[in-house]
Amino acid sequence: MDPVTAMYVAQGIHGLAYGMILFLVASGLTLIFGMMGILNLAHASFFMLSAYISYTVLQVTGNFWLALLIAPVVSAVIGILMERFLLRRVHASGHIGELILTVGVALVILESVKVFWGTENLPLPVPEFLQGLVSVAGLEYPIYRLFIIALALVLLAILTVILYKTRLGMVVRAAVSDADMVNALGVNVPLVFMAVFGIGTWMAGIAGVAIAPILTVFPGLADQMGMDAFMVVVTGGFGSLGGAFLVSTIFGLLSSYGVQFVSALAPVLMFIFMAIVLVIKPMGLFGERE
Amino acid sequence: MKKTVQWIILAVAAGILMFFPALFGIYFTNVFLTFVIFALFATTLNLLLGFTGLLSFGHAMFFGVGGYGTAIALERIEGLPLILAVLIGVMAAVALALILCPIMVRVSGTAFAMLHLAFGQLIYVLALKLRDITGGEDGIGGFDIPPFSIPGVVSVDMTDPSNFYYFGMIVLVGSLAILWFFTKTPFGSIMVGIRDNANRVDYMGFKVPQSKAVIYLFAGGFAGVAGSIYALFQNLISASDAFHILVSFVPVMMTMVGGIGSFFGPVVGAGIFGILEELTSRYTEQVELVMGLILILVIMYAPMGFLGIVQILKEKWFGKMSQQAGAEEAS
Amino acid sequence: MNILETKALYHDFSGLKVLFDVNLEVEEGERHAVIGPNGAGKTTLFNVITGTYRPSEGQVFFRGKEITGFAPHKLVRLGMGRSFQITSTFFRQTAFQNIRMGILSKRGIRFNMFRMLDKMDDVTKETDEVLKRINLDGERDIPASALSYGKSRSLEISMALATDPDLVMLDEPTAGMSVDETHTAVELIRKLTEGKTMVIIEHDMDVVFSLADRITVLHLGAILATGKPDEIRDNQAVKDAYLGELEV
Repeated sequence: MDPVTAMYVAQGIHGLAYGMILFLVASGLTLIFGMMGILNLAHASFFMLSAYISYTVLQVTGNFWLALLIAPVVSAVIGILMERFLLRRVHASGHIGELILTVGVALVILESVKVFWGTENLPLPVPEFLQGLVSVAGLEYPIYRLFIIALALVLLAILTVILYKTRLGMVVRAAVSDADMVNALGVNVPLVFMAVFGIGTWMAGIAGVAIAPILTVFPGLADQMGMDAFMVVVTGGFGSLGGAFLVSTIFGLLSSYGVQFVSALAPVLMFIFMAIVLVIKPMGLFGERE
Repeated sequence: MKKTVQWIILAVAAGILMFFPALFGIYFTNVFLTFVIFALFATTLNLLLGFTGLLSFGHAMFFGVGGYGTAIALERIEGLPLILAVLIGVMAAVALALILCPIMVRVSGTAFAMLHLAFGQLIYVLALKLRDITGGEDGIGGFDIPPFSIPGVVSVDMTDPSNFYYFGMIVLVGSLAILWFFTKTPFGSIMVGIRDNANRVDYMGFKVPQSKAVIYLFAGGFAGVAGSIYALFQNLISASDAFHILVSFVPVMMTMVGGIGSFFGPVVGAGIFGILEELTSRYTEQVELVMGLILILVIMYAPMGFLGIVQILKEKWFGKMSQQAGAEEAS
Repeated sequence: MNILETKALYHDFSGLKVLFDVNLEVEEGERHAVIGPNGAGKTTLFNVITGTYRPSEGQVFFRGKEITGFAPHKLVRLGMGRSFQITSTFFRQTAFQNIRMGILSKRGIRFNMFRMLDKMDDVTKETDEVLKRINLDGERDIPASALSYGKSRSLEISMALATDPDLVMLDEPTAGMSVDETHTAVELIRKLTEGKTMVIIEHDMDVVFSLADRITVLHLGAILATGKPDEIRDNQAVKDAYLGELEV
């Protein structure tokens, strides 16, 4: 294997890993949008919150798996509380009120995080057993990146099973394609909303823990990830899980290869991609409704 | 009777504004001018949000482009008169609105909010990256502030804070007056018509997209005025001051807190924010935390904002009489 | 001469055929009722004529001029008005402000940014006259959302007429009304459409036969029959398809 090819492959792995993190965040965002018709601007805040909590759990216990287990669950519980006690109560006043409310929650989480953890970049070590490189067929892969990709694929599989094999999933899919229909089905809509919110924030939380060793933990995490995830949802089509997966992968690769080839343009590559898609398909790649 | 009281209040207010620097000193004069800048900025957002029913999460781009336009013009063009510098900023904001409006007038609701979020972020990234034009993260600062001059008649030094206060106030209050008048013209009724029922506006014989475009240009252009004055006032404009997402959220919060139901809601909201910022910043650095909590409380318990609460109290105390006046005011 | 004419009008929603070869002819000055069972395509017909949708196929003519797919505001300016089956007023605005929109439109005051609306005394005066005529002067400053059902329906109908159209399309103006309210509404419609052409969708057969000069029966998206009320009453096909059930 010559060094140039090896570099390309390594960049590809980096890109894929970021794409998978992006997908974990965007999937919740797109499902919540599909169900409720609102874009939760606080979604990425749960991603960031989970990263911080995992930092603390790791400091206290020293166990990465425990952090991966606890932090996303705590985030999900806070997400559910937000849905139950805040969002649901302003539902009657329409989408604009809901959107602004999520902005308020995002601000409160961001500022609370600064109060509790400060504004420094907090380093989170890659767990020992995931450090280093593994070599397959003469190529060397960073294990932690591969771990992230595997983790995301497992979660994608679980999510697919839930969506296509359970009653909850059936209701969610029905709601995404036609919101009125769910009311007609006579299911407990508030409970379904809560479940989707919980699962969505949980997955964002897992992404937060997973990305912490790579990027370190800092208050700007939410901003950066929130914007990228939002563009994924818009480009993939509101409510489309497949679209989110595809676009996340593309964005991940765009960002890693972009930095390599056209570093000046790298930050706007995703915007350009989104703009091209939206010009051709205003509802996004797999979107059906506004 | 009521008219007389109104005139007296107005006269007192005008008097205070007139002698503000002398009465309260430079520090509070600057605080006050900042408040009026944001009052105008929030009012232009309310033109979209409260009057037309369009929520924007990217309004900072007009504010920022106005500021950058003025700053870049002053930096590059020697001997540029003050008024022209402001005009260049405003024209830049109007140009941006012109570019965006063919897309924006076709959408509403969530799509409108999100497209603005995306474009706002794009411009923020561009302002950071196009270093040669925008100065990157440092922004543009230290440019010369030309005097306000009418050749052969008068030349007023604008680096003097109290002189600048008068210049800024005339531009800002003048802009607010124009916008207030705008909402009172037949066009104002088309705005609220679009907010309440855009389809019916079409069926009454009015062109909805074109009307939205005009409103959009007004909102963008006057946000540019606020940004331009802000850049002159600070003698600095930077990407995070001008285009950061928080700068887009600020007028939304001010408008919600003050009340989206009436023209002066955002002004009141900007005032409440200004006071809160002054007070909380003495005790805590987390001003935004307080703002966020207030925003949540307002949406949950007082969706019509401060002026909405005042309205309800008025109805309680003065009964039906003020209710009717209120209906007129809110519409 | 026909004021309104559709030629071979077809419409479908993603494959579902809703209108099928509709050739409607409305003569200048007549009161024309469109009747038919639920799902016959009556409202869709209104929607493709008044510009909500562009028809899949076929043409629409207004006074001999083709208007297929014209936007609503364009049609209003040509002299067409329309009311809705589901009340569609500016709900947060007062009755006065609702009607005033129509008066502004009628007077061509659209992009005026240089005069205050409240200072336009002629507009105010004309709006108040209309309110009086439609018996809403007592509710002048009440928001549309706070009006009684009957009054809000009156407002709905009057808004379509406030722009002073030559042709007015009323979509079930009496929908959901009590017998008394219906009676008042019919009188109002009769008064307001004096000298105008009217097309009305209506389910209440008493209303149809008391108001209409001619009737078109729509069934499964196609015209089953067109004629004077007596002809329709006696038409066997209509009886079989529709009127029979209603025992007229």
